[in-house]
Amino acid sequence: MTHACNLEGRQRLQTSIGAVLIQLSRFYIHTPRHALHYTHTHVDFRCSKYHPFRVIHPVRYFTSYIERNVRPDGRKFDEHRNIKLNINTIKSAETSALVKYGNTTVICGTKLELAAPKAEDPDSGFLVTNVELVPLCSPKFRPGPPSDHAQVISNVVSEIINNSKFINLKDLCIVSDKLAWVLYCDIVCLDNDGNVVDACITALTASLKTLSLPTVTYDPETEEIKVDTNNRISLKVNGLPVATSFAIFPNCERSILLTDPNTFEEEMCGGNGANITVSWNNGFLCGILKSGGGTLSIEQEKEAIKMAKERTL
Amino acid sequence: MPLDYRRFNGPDDSVSYKRFTPDFLKSYEELLGDLLEKNNLKDEQASDEAQRVFAETDTISQAKGSAYVEIKNTKVVCSVFDPREIPHQNEFSHLGQIYCEVKFAPFSCSSQRRPPAPDAEDKALSEALRQAIEPAVCRHLFPNYQIDVFAYIIENDGSCLAAAINAAGLALTDAAVPMYDLITASSMAILDDKMFVVPNEEEEELAMKSQESKDINHGVITLSMLSELSQITSFIQIGSLETDCVIKAMDILEKECKELVPNIQKVVVRNVIKNVKRQQILHESAKEMEEILDEKYNLWQKSLKAKSYLCFSLSFFSLLA
Amino acid sequence: MAGSLISQSEQVFIVHGVENDFRSDGRSSIDYRPMELETDVVSHASGSARLRLANTDILVGVKTEIDVPKPETPGLGKIEFFVDCSANATPEFEGRGGEQLANTISSTMQRAYYSPQAFNLKQLCIFEGKQCWKLYVDILILECGGNLCDAVSLAVKAALFNTRLPCVKAALMDGGNIDLQLSDDPYDSKQLDIGTAPLLVTLCKIGTKCVVDPSAEEERCSVISLVVGVTGNPNFYQTDDNVIPDIKCKCSTISMNGPGSLSPKTLKSAIEQGITAANCLDNALGDALLREKDEISYLKKHSYGFLK
Repeated sequence: MTHACNLEGRQRLQTSIGAVLIQLSRFYIHTPRHALHYTHTHVDFRCSKYHPFRVIHPVRYFTSYIERNVRPDGRKFDEHRNIKLNINTIKSAETSALVKYGNTTVICGTKLELAAPKAEDPDSGFLVTNVELVPLCSPKFRPGPPSDHAQVISNVVSEIINNSKFINLKDLCIVSDKLAWVLYCDIVCLDNDGNVVDACITALTASLKTLSLPTVTYDPETEEIKVDTNNRISLKVNGLPVATSFAIFPNCERSILLTDPNTFEEEMCGGNGANITVSWNNGFLCGILKSGGGTLSIEQEKEAIKMAKERTL
Repeated sequence: MPLDYRRFNGPDDSVSYKRFTPDFLKSYEELLGDLLEKNNLKDEQASDEAQRVFAETDTISQAKGSAYVEIKNTKVVCSVFDPREIPHQNEFSHLGQIYCEVKFAPFSCSSQRRPPAPDAEDKALSEALRQAIEPAVCRHLFPNYQIDVFAYIIENDGSCLAAAINAAGLALTDAAVPMYDLITASSMAILDDKMFVVPNEEEEELAMKSQESKDINHGVITLSMLSELSQITSFIQIGSLETDCVIKAMDILEKECKELVPNIQKVVVRNVIKNVKRQQILHESAKEMEEILDEKYNLWQKSLKAKSYLCFSLSFFSLLA
Repeated sequence: MAGSLISQSEQVFIVHGVENDFRSDGRSSIDYRPMELETDVVSHASGSARLRLANTDILVGVKTEIDVPKPETPGLGKIEFFVDCSANATPEFEGRGGEQLANTISSTMQRAYYSPQAFNLKQLCIFEGKQCWKLYVDILILECGGNLCDAVSLAVKAALFNTRLPCVKAALMDGGNIDLQLSDDPYDSKQLDIGTAPLLVTLCKIGTKCVVDPSAEEERCSVISLVVGVTGNPNFYQTDDNVIPDIKCKCSTISMNGPGSLSPKTLKSAIEQGITAANCLDNALGDALLREKDEISYLKKHSYGFLK
């Protein structure tokens, strides 16, 4: 019975799209006024995704909102989505954090391992961050080895964390040249609704901030290692890196910056993720990346940097 | 093993620190003793296994259908995408195909970190999941097309295959893929005369690696079934069990699967109600839009008529002049 | 199998026959077709076997290597199964077609050999926590004529029976590392204890009944088959009179193949049927292997020169 019900629903949706299509071919004019009203009241039903106008003509749908100084989901240009954070829900990881930016869901889990440090850098431990965009998070990703886009995201996140000096790798060393911690941070995107980088940084910082290292005793003669899990020391962290991403919508007079873009907005602004990511830590700029999208004037860049900074305060 | 250039790799020889903790060195007997002690405390309040399942649909906004299932500490998300043409195939296939992929998160297991690339266990689970859900789907309705089912195990605390099957069944329902019946799955670990229904990781592990000197029953069974049709879609057993024991376990698991059905049904009903509401809103908005457009159309036509009348009369007058 | 298209009436004929316990080639529901088994066919492998069952042709080679045991199981060796489907085996295996099947078979084998009661990995231990034997079981499917799982498990058991591990002569401790010295004499070797190694029996559901070892036509009439792995009886594999107390056959793995489903009642009866069939099969395999072993040792004693 349930399937029947569901199926019927989809079919009915199609017929209504058909009807509107006919109407539109007659007219080609549309006022988004009432559509706006409808998304505002029923935004939690995610109806906007199935909105006939959006399905038929996504660009015009998008621009007609932008012209009226509002985004399709009812936000202002500089408004963020709600952020939800859930810490240490996963028992099998050392620490974990689940972060939701609207629909975007990201989970970071850390694993602690021991290894000998690198010969060229005997006093440092390891911090290995990987971002995995698994195929279940979006129809854009296919199973198999990580795509170019996934590798870029992984690189960006790891760069931001390394540049921000959030963690001093020297703190991860136990015995010089003999033993050091290896901190594996695996970030998994479960639902990709735009702005993955910001969510990844939030998840990563949250799980590293709650991390504590067990005490290790190392006998240099017998090379015996003993770990005491009851006696833990929390990991020293420096500041709190925050990344803020914007999509740049190329408008005729002036490009428009959209804070915290969702997938639809990212697509409308050139695809492949957010266009500019600015990250701050402790009042220092620790990363800025502009990729694709519209062009940006210097004032706007400054504005973006300022907006990102305000967010960290 | 070849180096994975697409990811960041840690040092090759890193080992989990848990190997150096006193717990790691415990022998099999000690572990078993611990477990039994713990269970004795727990079994005071006999718990209903079916109640421990938490399920939810529509967790992933980008997917056609998705579900999240939690059994004990095991957490699985599953998403289903639109059918697409079967890639790399020139022959026409009369039945649709189902492609399954099960993946463990690198941090999902409490011991060692899992490598991010799929290993043998991932592949075996993917195959088992496909076997379990294939009989439930009306595959003749989408010939030459393939439905992708992705399951991701966020945390593994035993019975992860059962959780993945339950999640996949719900996700398929959410995606409105026609199916014959709701699919439910349950698993059991057996150690000697003890049977752990829906085992956790500890119980599963102990049941799997029994001491070879003793000739006892040990093993893990996962069973999935279509309860309404009373058909078993998959039955997977590992270990060493006597026939009587297998049959006894089967009866219990069958009952367990049946008890799970109302829970799953509740989730599905909730999902349907939500969809119906969403649809009503869409319908209303479409109607509203049509009205507005109609209004405009009439207005335009009226003005056109007026204009053409004007033009006509103008030209008429000019002719006269 | 593809290619053997059969008509509706032929299908009905087969289904009705099976219902009344008659099969078109005169076998009963737990009878196998005749097989040919040959051991010691690959000279470079530690053990090998080749099995032909009707059209199915399988070659198994066992390779041994010294490895470090897993830290969580210091006293156990390792065994791994690799299945390779030759592209010539059946037209379906062209390209990557055989990969899925190969995966299924290797994971079924891995599961069947998992329990220490089925195959004791302790016998592969050389030095606890430091060194152990790792067996690579390479399974090559040369021709596919149905009923692959059963044939593979028989061939693997035969190849393991044929496997000789060289004896360790001496071990030198060298600052935590161990230097092993293996015996040079090829006859100074030990045999594996494979009496309990499991055999897989595929039960094909036709109508409401199950049959073992289906022919290609019978396979077309069925949508689901059950694979039951049953541990062997060590008594079948030794000639000496010191009889080990009979161990009851146990299920080491059960799984299902194919797009269909089974009712609980059929499943139960199928498992029992599978165990009976496996027992007969195990007995026959033991006899054949012992006979083969005698012949080989006879040949080796009395033959000289490269032509044997």
